[in-house]
Formats: sequence, C-alpha cells, structure tokens
Amino acid sequence: MRAIVVGAGDVGYDVARLLSLQRHDVTVVDTDPERVQHVRDTLDVLAVWGSGTSARTLQEARIADADLLVAVTDVDEVNVMAAMLAERVGKSAEETTTIARVRSDEFASDDSVLRLSDFGIDHIIQPEQSTANEVVSLLRRAAATDVVDFCGARLQLVGIRVEADSPVLGMTLVELARRSPLPFRVMGISRGVRTIIPSGDATVQKNDQVFILVETGRVGEVARVLGKEVGRLRHVMILGGTNVGARVAAGLAGRSRRDGGMEVKLVESDRPRAERLAETLEGVLVIHGDPADIDLLAREGLAETDAVVAVTADEESNLVSCLMAKHLGVKKTVALLSKSAYIPISQSIGLDAAVSQKLSVSREVLRFLRGAHVRSVATVHGLDAEILELVADAGSPITRTPLANVRLPRGVLLGAVVGDRVEIATGRTQVQPGQRAVVFATPERVEEVESWFSA
Amino acid sequence: MPPAGGGVAPPRTDVIIDWKAIVGVLGVLLVALGVALVAPALVGLAYGEGAWWAFAATASASLVAGGALWAAFRPTDELRVREGFAIVALAWVVLSLVGAVPWVWGGVLAEYTDAFFETMSGFTTTGATILSGADTPAIEAVPNAFLFWRSLTHWLGGMGIIVLTIAVLPLLGVGGMQLFKAEVPGPSADKLTPRVTETAKRLWAIYVALTVLQVLLLLPAMSLFDAVNHAFATLATGGFSTENGSVGQYGSAYVDGVITVFMVLAGMNFALHYQLLHRNVTGVVKNEELRVYLAILAAATVLLTLSLWTPTGGLLPGAVTLDGAVVAEAEAGRAVVHYESFPEALRYGAFQAASIITTTGFGTADYEVWPPLAIGILFALFFVGGMAGSTGGGVKVVRVLLILKNAFRELRQLVHPQAILPLRLDHRVVPEGIVRTVLSFVVFYVGLIGLGTLLMGFLGLDLWSAFSATFSCVGNVGPAFGTMGPTETYTHVPAAGKWVLSFLMMAGRLEIFTVLLLFTPAFWKR
Repeated sequence: MRAIVVGAGDVGYDVARLLSLQRHDVTVVDTDPERVQHVRDTLDVLAVWGSGTSARTLQEARIADADLLVAVTDVDEVNVMAAMLAERVGKSAEETTTIARVRSDEFASDDSVLRLSDFGIDHIIQPEQSTANEVVSLLRRAAATDVVDFCGARLQLVGIRVEADSPVLGMTLVELARRSPLPFRVMGISRGVRTIIPSGDATVQKNDQVFILVETGRVGEVARVLGKEVGRLRHVMILGGTNVGARVAAGLAGRSRRDGGMEVKLVESDRPRAERLAETLEGVLVIHGDPADIDLLAREGLAETDAVVAVTADEESNLVSCLMAKHLGVKKTVALLSKSAYIPISQSIGLDAAVSQKLSVSREVLRFLRGAHVRSVATVHGLDAEILELVADAGSPITRTPLANVRLPRGVLLGAVVGDRVEIATGRTQVQPGQRAVVFATPERVEEVESWFSA
Repeated sequence: MPPAGGGVAPPRTDVIIDWKAIVGVLGVLLVALGVALVAPALVGLAYGEGAWWAFAATASASLVAGGALWAAFRPTDELRVREGFAIVALAWVVLSLVGAVPWVWGGVLAEYTDAFFETMSGFTTTGATILSGADTPAIEAVPNAFLFWRSLTHWLGGMGIIVLTIAVLPLLGVGGMQLFKAEVPGPSADKLTPRVTETAKRLWAIYVALTVLQVLLLLPAMSLFDAVNHAFATLATGGFSTENGSVGQYGSAYVDGVITVFMVLAGMNFALHYQLLHRNVTGVVKNEELRVYLAILAAATVLLTLSLWTPTGGLLPGAVTLDGAVVAEAEAGRAVVHYESFPEALRYGAFQAASIITTTGFGTADYEVWPPLAIGILFALFFVGGMAGSTGGGVKVVRVLLILKNAFRELRQLVHPQAILPLRLDHRVVPEGIVRTVLSFVVFYVGLIGLGTLLMGFLGLDLWSAFSATFSCVGNVGPAFGTMGPTETYTHVPAAGKWVLSFLMMAGRLEIFTVLLLFTPAFWKR
C-alpha cells in the first residue's frame, strides 16, 4: 500500500515509522526542511519538502497512486485542506482513504453543521480526545496498565504491572496458569526496555509489565491471579487542565455513581483557564493552584485519592507528581508523556500507566485501517511486538495438528482462536480453516508467521 | 450635536431627570385607568346600585386628566433608565391615588387613607383589607361595583407585574431579575419572542385564558359574580374575596380544590406556562426553580397535614406556656385545632400552604389556632413567596435557592480554599454579579421588614402583630398574625401606619430596588 503522511511532527513521525515498519511505501510531507532531513535520515521512507496544502507538493509525493493520506500537522485547516486536495487530485474519493487530525469539535457531534464528507475526510483523529478516552478506560479498569480490545471487543489484552509484593514473583507461566481455572494467556512481558514474547518456562519478575489475553470482562479475575486487588476507583485527582485533562474530567464525572461516575478534582495553575473549566465542567471540583505544589495537593487530600492523572504540558513534572502520589499510597497513577523514551522507564520506576498522544493517535490510525490494508491490529505502549489477526487458509500448516505439536518459531505466540466463539489457545487447541487467530510476533518474524497460515 | 437621522431623537442629556416625559407616560396610564374604571360603573348599573356614578365620574376625570397630560407632555425623546425607574414606582402610586377616589365619592369609606390602603393593597396584589372592621362596612354590605373594583385592581396589578418582571425589571437590572431572562428553559434561547411587546401579549393571553378557565370551573359552586371576582384574585395571587369568611365561606371541598390548583399555577413563572403551551415539557420539568417551588409546596403540605390531623398532630407537643407547662389548649383562650379526618386535614393544609407560598392570602381556616408547628411552617412560607415571573410576591423561590446555594458554597470553600466554585442554576453558571444583587436584595428585604416593624411598633402595635403585618405587606401576602390575623382586618391600624404599610406593599411588589433607588442621593445626581 502507498501512504502519504502530511506533517512530520511527533505524531506524523510515529505514524510514518509504524506504517513503514509494516512494509508500506510511505511518503512524508513537511514544510520544515530539518524535519524532512531527520525523517530521511532515520526512517525507511520518502520525504518531500513542501506544504500539504499545495497540490503540486502532493503530486510530487505521488498522490495519484496513494491509497492512504494521513494529515497530522498541528494546524486543523492544513489537515482538512490536504484531505480535500487528496480527494481532488488523488486516485478517487473511494480509493483514497483520508485520515485527518482535527482538534476542533466542529465535526465531532451528530448535529454539527459541517460533515466530514463535505471535506472528503474518511476518519477524523482528535489526539486529545483519543488520549483522554484511553485514560478514562484505564481508570475504569483499575488494575490494568493497558487495555486493548480485539476481535470486535470479544477479547481484551490487559497489561498488568507485577509489584514487589506479588505472590507470583519467580513463577513460570505454566505455574501461573495453574493458579486459576480462568482461561488466559500471557502474550508478552515488558521488562525494562526489552519486550519478551514468552514461552511457558519464562518467569515473572518484579516490575514486569505482563500482557495477558483474556475474554472481555475478565480483567478483575486476571488481576487477582497476579495478586492485584484493586477495588473501584472513586476519587480521582487530575493534575493539569490541559485539553486532555479537561476531557478526562468530562469523561469521568457527569455520570451517576452507580454508572461508574467518580468524584473528580482538577488542579490548574492558570486562573482564567481554571475559571473557564469550572464553568464548563459541571460536577468537577476545579482547584486553582500549581499542580506541582505537593502541599496544595496534600491539603486537597492527595493521600486519600484513589487515582492521580498527571497531564500537564511538562512531562517530567507529570512523572514526578505520579511518583509522589504513588509514594503517598495512591492506588493508580497515570502520566501523560510525550517522549517515547520515557514510556519504558515509567513502568520500571513504579508508575501504573503512561499515555502519550502520539501513541494514541498511531493506535487510532491503525485501528481505522484494520482489516483494510494493515495486518497489525494494535500497538501497545512499551510492547515492541506486532499483534496480528490472521485467517487460516484451508490446508495451511497451522490447521494440521493441535497447537501442542506445532513448532512456531521463537518470538511468535498464538493467543486465541476466534470462530463462532472465542477460545483462548491451549496445547489442545486446533485451528480450523477459516478461523481467525490472534498472533503476537516480534517485527522480524511477521512474514514467517504468515506462511503458517497460508496453504 | 448633529441632527438625529432616525425617527427617535436621542435621550436628553441636559436634564437630570426628564419630568415632562414621566408625567406624559403617567398620563397614558391614567387614560388606561379611566377605561378600567368603566367596568365597575357598568357592574353598578347592572345591579342597579346608585354608587355607579362614583366610578363614572372618576373614570371621566381620569380620562380627561390623563389625555391632557399625554397631549401636553408627550415624550419626544427616548426614555432613559432613570425615567424608567421613576415611572415604575410612580405608576403604582398614581393609580392607587386615583383608584381610591370612588370609595370616598361613593360614600362607602369615610377615610381617604382607608380607600388608598385598600386600592394599593389591590394593585400590589397583596389582599390586605380594611373592610369589615370596627368603623368600616362589612364586606357583604359593600355594593357589588366596589367589590368588583377591588378584584379588578388585583387582576390589573397582576398583569402589570407580569410585564414588569419580564420586560422592564431585567432591563433595569433589579435584584437579579435578569436571571428571569436566563432561566426560561428550553432551546428557544433566552427570550420567548424577540420583541418585548409581543412577549407581554402572549403572557397576558395565558393570564386571561387561565382566568376564564377558573371562572368556568368555579361556576358550578358559586354565582358568576363571585366566580369572576375569585378568579381575578387567584390569578393575581391577590386574596380579596367577596365574602367576609374568604373562600372558607363556601364550605366546599370542590371550591377549595379548584382555587388551590389555580393558586399554584399563578405562583408559577408564566413563561413556563408559555413553554408548556408550546409542548416544551422536558424543559419545564427540568426547571430547577419549578422543582424547588413544588418541593417546598409538597413538603409544607405534608407537614401541615400531619400536624393538623388528630392522630399525628396529637403526638406533637402542645403550645408551651411561659411557666413551662405543656398545654393542649393553648394560651389566650384559643383552642389548638386538629381535624379528625385525614382528607379534611389535607384539604385545609394544602389550601393554606398554597395560599401563603403564592402570597395570595385566601383563607379557609383560622391558621392562628393551628398547632405551633403549622404556624411555623406558614411563617417560613411567608418569606419564600412564588416563583420569579409569577404574580406572587415574597423573596421569590429563585432568590432563596441562590442564597442557599451561595451559603453552601461558602462552606465548601472553607474545605477547599483554592477551589473555583461557580454557582449553577439549571446547569448554567450564574454570573457573580447576579449572585451579589440577589444577596443585597435579601439584605434590603430583611432590613425593610425590620424598619417597618420598628415604625409599626412606634405607632403602638404589639411587636408580634407589627412584625407579621410588615412581613405580610412587604411580601404582598395579605393576612398576618396577631391583631391582623386571617380573621381580623387592618382597620385598627393608625392612619400613619396604613401609609407606611402601603409604602411597604409597593416596595415589596416592585422588587424593592426600584423604589429604594428613588431615595438614594446618587439617583438625583448627574
């Protein structure tokens, strides 16, 4: 597939990298020569210097052959215009998929005057909203560090951090499986900066982030297997009234308590901004003060808070605030980080979860493209593995014997089989032709895995 | 200064206050009053009462004088806010001064003071009366033309207050009445219609329609004359009755029920009726002030009923005398009344709760002989009053709601000193300026009651009567406690006291600020 990415900022760079990793032909367009050079130097993609709002630049990027245009500059108007141009000068409206990042809420609601189709946009990405949704979903499933839905939300991949006092420290995965009749499968372990696609004799160690595939709705039981007992979170403190913070607050409050509503405090240092938030966010207690002022947070009951979400613009302070909260016994901490480099360490220094706008956007791009062109169905923070959904052809090697006898290559793991019903893979599982399988593989094994599923 | 391009000249800036314009507008009001006075004259003719000429004469005088003033001082410039305030306050004074004349000319009342009190009580929809007193005729002895005129002053006063709260007071920014604009629910934004006159016409149409409906519902139980008079007094939340025993005279549960329902409707914001007509039911149901109004009403009814019903009310302690003895029979020789049957307790309880909270002041029972708890509840309802935008008086539910919210916010602020806590009404943030004017309104309201109590005490009334009468007049309720209780009248108040109370009725009716402003030096300065 040929893809054009307009905008080589953090988000654009990451989308281009992911698409390129999956062996698509990617052309990046940006107005900043230095960024263009950086893309050329570090990624296996084509980079064009010019504006996404110029038809000539897009033609130079061979828009006529492109199947996909992802417009993710910082400017809404540029993204919208690039998408409109792609529809005019590209292959055709049906064949060219356009994804644009638009911060404005103008298109978001059902009664909007402007419609996406007016601009030839197939899918809209709102980075702040995506990130906020992720935070909200993390807080709703309190024990997890990550939750990703699969196969039409019939399966979930759940990331859980193993604490120093966990009863499963040092156990092998086989022993772990015996602790519960619940069918689940450990698909990956993130340890430090390394990602392990484990076999049955791998052991669980302190500060590991364990990724478990399980049927939807079983997150709590899986957490108990790993010795995590987390009740419902009721009191949440949000540090920073950024767009992400405001949207998280809106997502958590404003529901009845029975419906999962939480008591939310939001700390914002800019007075006018705090006042505006207080007016728009009904049911949220907005506090004007410095989110890094520990005395203030303590006075506002940081120690009695169940969860802290640090989403200020300053990621170092987000990290520190979360560590401080953890130190005071807050059950769950989520930090907004913008540098990917911090994401692996956030786990090892004791944070529960980290979110980044970049990854949220990449995830969303991939989710939208799922099935259509891209094999990988999800990306997970700190898990450097491809997650694939593959359909087994009739007579393909994988369908010949039960899994116990299939010798998949190292770094490849089959997690579940999805036919009429969902089956978490065990040794006795035999993949039937036509069934879909959820497979984890390190990036270099992807092609090898595919050969197992074709006749 | 360049000549004005449009049809209307810019406001004059060379005078502090444009008296001519004010007199001109009052002239128009006098013409309207003259027209209104024709109605009681016709009633008098129809009943063959000799006093009809008093109305005809006053009507003619009013028409001639008003027409002349209008012709002479017709305002050519646009009115300013300053003149607006003066006109609003003077309108009630002038209308009452002239409207009182027939009482004296017709020979029904000997004292002009009494006539003025009665008329002001009518136009302000208070319903405090001096009739049936020691030296005034009993209500039954008053000619029908005069009874009709009393009720008509109520009804016209109610009309005036509707347009005032919707159109005029928000423009003048009085005591948080701007809120009224904002708290009309529904997607139709802030105003009902873009033009004030159009809005006023529609609300009047609702007012008239409700009046007609109530007349029709009352007809099976009383004469057309009585039905019309009671409907006028109900919709205006006034309280004048054509019977000495007020509504209780009919002794009919049906009449009590109909009037209870219409009192509750009259105590509602008329804009809500308009919304209901346009099928915006969800917007009305979600209206916070309405919910609180109905909740207070329901709670008061339940408590009154329980304290009035013998099995439950009997459990409550009786009145306590000064020496500490609990007595079932209260002091002053009055027995504490309980009702044997539950429906009766409910009937009287609900009627009185509605009558007091809407500041109508009709009576079906002498609440002064009710148990202490019941009296306490009624006393609290005196303060609350109807909804903003209704014909009811009092502080208004929305203001009570806001001051309570503000008080609880202060408590919350103590716990979270750095929190930003906006006040909300109907999920919308109430601007701090409005919260402030509402607070000052309540301060003035309470202050006025305090001052009035002192003055009435100075004039020789006992403290309880002085206090409750002042309270009742500022809130436009009508009956009070003590020597001005529901079975008594205001006849025995000294003449000076009647003028004081008339002033308080007007101040309360015009949301206090409008009247007090005229007494501030700054108003008279450039």
